Amino acid sequence: MNLFQKIKSKFKDDVCEGCGGKCTETFKQLYMLDQTVGHYARYENPSYYKKNLYKVEKKTDIPSGVYACGITEYTCQECHKKLVKLSIFLPVRDQEMHETPVYYRNGEMDDFIR
Amino acid sequence: MKTSNETKVKKINILYLLGYIFVPIIVCAICFFLSYKFFPKGTMAVILLMGPSLLSFIWWVFAGKFIFKKKQKEFESLLDENNFKREHTFYAEGCTTIIDKTNGELALIFFWNPFETYRVSLKRVERAWVDDGKSGAGIFAGSGRVSFLFTVDGIKVRVNTFTSNQRWRMDSEYILTGISKADMMVKIIEEAKTKAK
Repeated sequence: MNLFQKIKSKFKDDVCEGCGGKCTETFKQLYMLDQTVGHYARYENPSYYKKNLYKVEKKTDIPSGVYACGITEYTCQECHKKLVKLSIFLPVRDQEMHETPVYYRNGEMDDFIR
Repeated sequence: MKTSNETKVKKINILYLLGYIFVPIIVCAICFFLSYKFFPKGTMAVILLMGPSLLSFIWWVFAGKFIFKKKQKEFESLLDENNFKREHTFYAEGCTTIIDKTNGELALIFFWNPFETYRVSLKRVERAWVDDGKSGAGIFAGSGRVSFLFTVDGIKVRVNTFTSNQRWRMDSEYILTGISKADMMVKIIEEAKTKAK
């Protein structure tokens, strides 16, 4: 992997951090996170998310003032390495207020999303 | 705690407000006069000139918040004793709003009227809405205050969810958080209103 690919992988989720190959989305689902506005706390422990995420079909199913979490799994087409990204955001009318995403690289969320 | 259906919600107690502002001024004026008349020099003069001024400053800065917080805690324990389920509480600078969603009741305590507390049925709330304070157009759109409002027997109560002395873009984190809190509170009031007896 050249330097350019390495830098690119730091900023783009669809570029593999291991080999620099192209990643495809293999799973995508929206969840409601059991946290309300003004009380957001970031957790790194995957078991927290497994207990506090509830599957929803669309953003409008989430009540006002409750956080949403979009889980996306990327799989590298070349080395088949997986990356799970948790995009946590607060839906506010037609806008979204994003928090710092949480990444899992070692299959910590596999039992939850499968 | 006032619970009667006839009791009107009073946001400001004029006597308390005037007393809060003017009593320290009157005390200072009396002390200055005493110092001028009887103790023009010496330790007593310093005490009479400095003491009340310092105490007044401390009173204006801290006393209001202290009284409000103390009364708020007392009110919360009183509500607990009287079977009011405190399911949603919103602490704002000027007013604390507590909602019992199960029984459709609303409890209120105001900063400028901390000695009178209100427990009213949400049936008396005519409407609730959000004011995002938006002004300006296009890229100049912004706000310095977001609040939710409701009317109790025609009296408008405004509860700020965000205030600033600056103007923020409508997509800023502060404004969005304020709008989200206000939206949530309005939704809770509307839901609780359906259960009001």
